[in-house]
Amino acid sequence: MTFLSVALVALSVAQDAEPRAWTIQVERVYTGTGRNLEKGLVLVSAGKISAVTPGAGEEDDRPNDVLKAYAVTAGLVDAGVRVTNWQSVEQSKEVTPHLRVADTLDPFALDWDRQLRGGVTTVLASPVDRNVIGGLSVVLKTGGPESIADRTVKADAVLRGSMGSEPSAGNHPAFGRPTDFFSRRPTTRMGVEWEWRNAFFDTALNLNEEDPGRATLVAALQGKLPIFIQAWTTQDIRTAVFLREEVESRPEFAAAGMNTPRFVIDAAAEAWKEPQLLARSQTPVVLPPFPTAGRTRENSQMAWNVAKVLKDAGVPFALSSHGSGDVEQRLANQAGYAMAGGLGFEDALAAVTSTPARLLGVEDRVGTLEVGKDADLVLWSGEPFQPGTRVVATIVDGVLRYEGWNAVQGAAIAR
Amino acid sequence: MLPILLAFATATLPAISLPADGPLAIRAKFVWTGGGRVLENATVVISGGRIQAVGTDIAIPEGAELIEHDGYLTAGMIALHGATGAVGETQDSTRTVMPEARVGLALDGRARDFGLLRDAGITSILVTPDASGVTGGTSALVKTLDGIVLRDPAHLSLVFSTDALSSNREPTSKSGALALLNALFTEPRGVAAEARSGKLPCLFEVREREDVGRALAFAAEHELVGTLHGAWLSGEMSGAIAKSGLSVIVPVLGVGTPKRVLDAVARLEKDGIVFGFGLDAPWNHADAMRFSAALCVRAGLGRQAAWQGLTANAAKIAGAAARTGRIERGLDADLCLWSGDPLDLASRASLVIIGGQPVSMNGAASAAKESQR
Repeated sequence: MTFLSVALVALSVAQDAEPRAWTIQVERVYTGTGRNLEKGLVLVSAGKISAVTPGAGEEDDRPNDVLKAYAVTAGLVDAGVRVTNWQSVEQSKEVTPHLRVADTLDPFALDWDRQLRGGVTTVLASPVDRNVIGGLSVVLKTGGPESIADRTVKADAVLRGSMGSEPSAGNHPAFGRPTDFFSRRPTTRMGVEWEWRNAFFDTALNLNEEDPGRATLVAALQGKLPIFIQAWTTQDIRTAVFLREEVESRPEFAAAGMNTPRFVIDAAAEAWKEPQLLARSQTPVVLPPFPTAGRTRENSQMAWNVAKVLKDAGVPFALSSHGSGDVEQRLANQAGYAMAGGLGFEDALAAVTSTPARLLGVEDRVGTLEVGKDADLVLWSGEPFQPGTRVVATIVDGVLRYEGWNAVQGAAIAR
Repeated sequence: MLPILLAFATATLPAISLPADGPLAIRAKFVWTGGGRVLENATVVISGGRIQAVGTDIAIPEGAELIEHDGYLTAGMIALHGATGAVGETQDSTRTVMPEARVGLALDGRARDFGLLRDAGITSILVTPDASGVTGGTSALVKTLDGIVLRDPAHLSLVFSTDALSSNREPTSKSGALALLNALFTEPRGVAAEARSGKLPCLFEVREREDVGRALAFAAEHELVGTLHGAWLSGEMSGAIAKSGLSVIVPVLGVGTPKRVLDAVARLEKDGIVFGFGLDAPWNHADAMRFSAALCVRAGLGRQAAWQGLTANAAKIAGAAARTGRIERGLDADLCLWSGDPLDLASRASLVIIGGQPVSMNGAASAAKESQR
């Protein structure tokens, strides 16, 4: 690779800067639509992608600021990020569908910068999985105004909940010790699963008329609001799929018109064990970060070829960092690991851009590098997702929000 | 007329007795009115507990006692946050939502701690509910003498910081706290309804800038008025705060406070936001509030802007601008004589007057007053 990666000046990346007109010159434009360009130009104006054309290196009289790099892709979309803390979930009840994680986010948190450094421009922020049904997640940009509302791409995008042991961890029966806050249900996996079914049946049979979360549950059961269920292990994945199939088949739900829920299984580390189960119901999956040594959370085992297995089985899937701030677990690295497990580049790119965008219902704005979409772009020093490749710049809505550590070594921006 | 040269008054109190009811004239080298005006060699006449006249060419009424002061005369300061007189009584850990609770009813107006405030030149204090719940009720503005109430209820306290949360009771989360507040503000009666109608200002308890953002959004949604307390960096969001019309109470600052924080306070002045200073008495020394303002002045805040934050604007924030906070005809005679520039840390309060009554001299609550208790 002889091309020098980037030529940027030390721009002061001001907060809330106006979007600029950019000309991005690269050796490779990976659009994510199957149509890729060699020596291409991506033009940006008014915060949107205005053109994608061949012709990098030619004389150009546009008054745009020029950025040069080896490659450009659409900004990465992380469907599993949690830039949240313990105060993001209301633990005084096990089921709190109506509470919004957007009300708990800190627009000033440093986590946003970390995401930008990794090329992630759009994320799903979810409550921490201490509740069975934790509440409403939000899709938002990682860079932009210092206001969650102004950065939101889609409010109330997803209903978030969990199977497995995490919602019951720390709970205990009141018997035998002083009553405290965690003398509460559920205490087991079965209890967690029961809470889900209880909430769904109560909604279908209208037994929770007074419950402030009812409207949210109705929307979820009608398929208007995707349900993201965390399930790491095979048994929890099964429980989630069977729950979906129960809702689809039981007459109570059909009678109420609440039998078309859209499930997405998050953190499905063991999805490789029974891919046909997911293929059967066409239940999409979000994968957690690859562990360094086989086992990951909930003692689940995650195979290196899990992405490849899902691809071959026809199960839609996205990769994610699952909220980890660990450099190893950054989203771009996950795409690289999935490729190491046998997945092709285009599929790996889709798994960190267009597929999560579609799962989150924001594909009309982000996820591919196409004219008219939001100017969320990642500039790479080499082939994206390769171990030696760096993110050299990240643009969100036409604003340069991050420039890589080597960027300042280049010449002044050519005009 | 007996001119009393205060500069010579010694610590042997009460060597001089000042009239409590008769007319009193104070002639000082510098008079800070609190309205931003500085008068030189001006006279203030008080009687019946009120300020009767202020100016440079005031005739001293017949029979009035005269104090000649070779120093500064200002309105008494107003501390905007604290629990003096109600320590331990401003919260209820078994209830996190108790909007109708009134700090004003939990208060011992004759608590000894008020003497410390008087000695420091503080003549009124806003006693505020504890921020350990979602709402701890309403605040009260009282004088630091005899529990004289200026305004009760003064504000409805609403907590947007994580102080409202706990891991072992509702709410554990910011979203849960917000849900409780939203539920409170749908009630047709009670103090929340009064706040919604604009009759009762709110005291928004915040710490981080994210809390300020949430409080501003909540205030806009429910059309609330009031003041933000507790965020060191609120000045960095001064644009949004200015739009909201809310005022700001700056928490106590210290010598170790980062410059960024002091700069943020200066931005409040630049963007025209009304601000005052909190003290969180009795946990902080009574002088800490004046020292906070002095630190801000050292970092670039305007001297008179700082002083107004301690007096006139503090009165505005507490809803008592018609009673106290400035030296102006008709207002309560809540005054302080200073040995030097009040924002000079070496200066002391030489004489403190509340409602026309001398209550503290040379930093010692008047022995005459104390002996009555």
